[in-house]
Amino acid sequence: MLQISRKNFYLKSPVLFAILLISSTLFFFSCKTNSGNSTAENNIDTVLTGTVNAELTFAPNVPKPLTYTSPKKVIVQLETIEKVMPISDSSEYTFWTFGGHVPGNFIRVRQGDLVDFTLKNAPESKMTHSIDLHAVIGPGGGADATSTAPGQSTHFQFRALHPGLYVYHCATAPVPMHIANGMYGLIYVQPKEALPKVDREYYIMQSEFYTKGNFGLKGLQEFDEQKGINEQPNYVVFNGSVNANAGKNALPANVNETVRLFVGNGGPNLVSSFHVIGEIFDKVYLEGGEMVNRNFGTTLIPSGGAAIVEMKMDIPGVYNIVDHSIFRTFNKGCLAQIKVKGGRDTLIFRKN
Amino acid sequence: MKVVFAILFFISCLSCESQSKINIAAEKKMVKVKGGKFKTFYVSKTDKPLLVEPFLMDECAVTNKEFLEFVKANPAWSKSKVKRLFADSNYLKHWKSDFEIGESNKNIYNSPVVNVSWFAAIAYCSWKNKRLPNLAEWEIAGNAPPQNIQYTSITDYIMKWYEKPSLPVLPNVKTTYCNTYGLYDMHGLIWEWTFDFNSFISTGDSRNTSNNDNNLFCAGASINVTNREDYAAFLRYGFRGSLRGNYCISSLGFRCVKDLPSNKL
Amino acid sequence: MKKYIMLSVVTAFLFSCNGNMDVANNNAGTDNTVKKSVTKNNNASAAESIFIVSDTFQTQNKKEIILSSLSGKPTVVGMIFTNCSYACPKITAQMKNIAGKLKADGKDANFVLVSFDTKRDNAGQLKMFANMMNIDDSWMLLHGSEQAVRTLSVLLNVQFEKDAEGNFSHSNIISVLDKNGVLAFQKEGLEADQKETVNRIEELIN
Repeated sequence: MLQISRKNFYLKSPVLFAILLISSTLFFFSCKTNSGNSTAENNIDTVLTGTVNAELTFAPNVPKPLTYTSPKKVIVQLETIEKVMPISDSSEYTFWTFGGHVPGNFIRVRQGDLVDFTLKNAPESKMTHSIDLHAVIGPGGGADATSTAPGQSTHFQFRALHPGLYVYHCATAPVPMHIANGMYGLIYVQPKEALPKVDREYYIMQSEFYTKGNFGLKGLQEFDEQKGINEQPNYVVFNGSVNANAGKNALPANVNETVRLFVGNGGPNLVSSFHVIGEIFDKVYLEGGEMVNRNFGTTLIPSGGAAIVEMKMDIPGVYNIVDHSIFRTFNKGCLAQIKVKGGRDTLIFRKN
Repeated sequence: MKVVFAILFFISCLSCESQSKINIAAEKKMVKVKGGKFKTFYVSKTDKPLLVEPFLMDECAVTNKEFLEFVKANPAWSKSKVKRLFADSNYLKHWKSDFEIGESNKNIYNSPVVNVSWFAAIAYCSWKNKRLPNLAEWEIAGNAPPQNIQYTSITDYIMKWYEKPSLPVLPNVKTTYCNTYGLYDMHGLIWEWTFDFNSFISTGDSRNTSNNDNNLFCAGASINVTNREDYAAFLRYGFRGSLRGNYCISSLGFRCVKDLPSNKL
Repeated sequence: MKKYIMLSVVTAFLFSCNGNMDVANNNAGTDNTVKKSVTKNNNASAAESIFIVSDTFQTQNKKEIILSSLSGKPTVVGMIFTNCSYACPKITAQMKNIAGKLKADGKDANFVLVSFDTKRDNAGQLKMFANMMNIDDSWMLLHGSEQAVRTLSVLLNVQFEKDAEGNFSHSNIISVLDKNGVLAFQKEGLEADQKETVNRIEELIN
């Protein structure tokens, strides 16, 4: 009985069937764009409501969340500086940097902002430098406009249309060497609906260094091009040097606080298997984009990519942040730490 | 055999030694550079190497003392009078005043003059009835191996210098190394201007004529080169590519060349 | 009954889609303009006239001139060489296009082509090129020494190099100098639309 009536339905109501087909198609297509793309922040003709200077920070600090609610002109100025600094307790390296530190400044803007970008190259630099921000849509990500000789400065503007966490790096040839020497950082384009507030935000960037001497060899170390080509680093570190944020430089937090980590991978070669020992990521914004995954143990961060991870620190103690390609942590320096203070929650973890 | 090599080595060291004792204030010594075939680092459309004629080259870079003589004879090139079109505001910033390097700067009288623009370098060379070397000439001269130092490879030596931060005070000329032509400090002291520093780096099809720089960034740069492992060359060409004629940079100076009498057209 | 349920469900779908369709259209519009969002500001090296360069050039009619003789009117400059098979005729055509548009608006400017090819592009060769491109003597096609041509290219940020066969690789830029010889505007690219160039020249004339 039912079968006959269904056949009759299709035959006798082709119009209804057609309407159903068309409307369900439209429904699916419109749902694809339903993820909150409103017009003001995506429209490059939106009138800007003022000019601000971007707050720039160095790792492990992150600029405060932006509270304005309409696109502004944001002034950003970075300077490239070539500088000898320690890479471990016993070794030094000639770093090429954005702002005199590795990684470079953390830039925080909001979706829809017009970024007014000036790149200066310190007069004492020997090399020409530039910048490619992965948040930029345009020739070379800005590299074309910013090839800057020592003592000079260049300028360009871009509209930050896409929210997310992006790497920036020097893009002057030979790019692998400029990156291998420390020229990278993160730019965060805060979505127009900001992420929920958390208690702590930190900036961590993983990267590798290729030196002629072995790990920890005393003195000034030289870049080893062949090791770079062979993808065999001597140092794999968080925030530019061994123990930059471990031991007495561990990142502080208190029990029951939610910590958000903006994690970048400057490379130049390796993919990171990012993991916090003793913790589980409550949320991972995969590769800094809009897709959120929950209850992650280890997340992959591509070279030149980033991720945002959040976790609630339920139990006090020291938590090791590692790349779970674990020889890198054990033998090459890839370790940072979060030190959580406060009362003990014995329901989740108890040592006998 | 070893004895022969030892003697030859000793003689070549001596010849460099004696050259360094020549009074720099006298007419600057020039050495002959054999010409030859030169393949551009960024491969051009034709793929044919350039033929470089032999030429004479200053044995070392122009010094502060030498440049001061030029400025005194040509006051339009003093730092307070020079046109911004020809030299930016960093021009000779390390000198005490228009016609004084400065007593406190005695230690740089014989170091290479820097903070000079391409236009200033051209003017100096013309004043001396010489000219700036073109890129091919400079590269051929610079590729000659060192003859008085220990080194693993010339590229290695160059990279070591590129990586070190600039020194606040430049050492004298003729204090790094001497190469097989008798040229001093081709690498290891300063960058040097070339006549055609604004060479075009082709990205292939001439129809693609948006700014040629944008294909040089990130991976694009490795596409059209003779040796993509020669990072030293990448850095050197990259540096040249970022220059404008009036830039004055504290690690950039120059030396002059002259045609051999038989080559004059 | 089933029919009515289907109809109401379908109607509900239609209503929900209505608003979202507009968003889809809007996004399609803005995605096209995203690519223009990077603008480059050239470092203004100096707001000084390039006419202070005293090099002499020779025109296609064998006349000796210096650049300052161009003052009084804006000057449109292209750098080419006559053995160039594709790019240079295109640059010349673009400049003729600009000249035509200016003439139609009753305006006037100097048009100058300077050759990279100091060896082969003497006055006679330049004259032949002018005839071939239907260019009259109101335009100047210039031959200069290697140093004069290189100096001009550096001042105009035009890159070029000579290959082993005597031909030239070069950037394709049309430059506009104001009536005092200060570099006012440049447009790069063989397929570039010259409307903005024409507007800028007309602004300089007023």
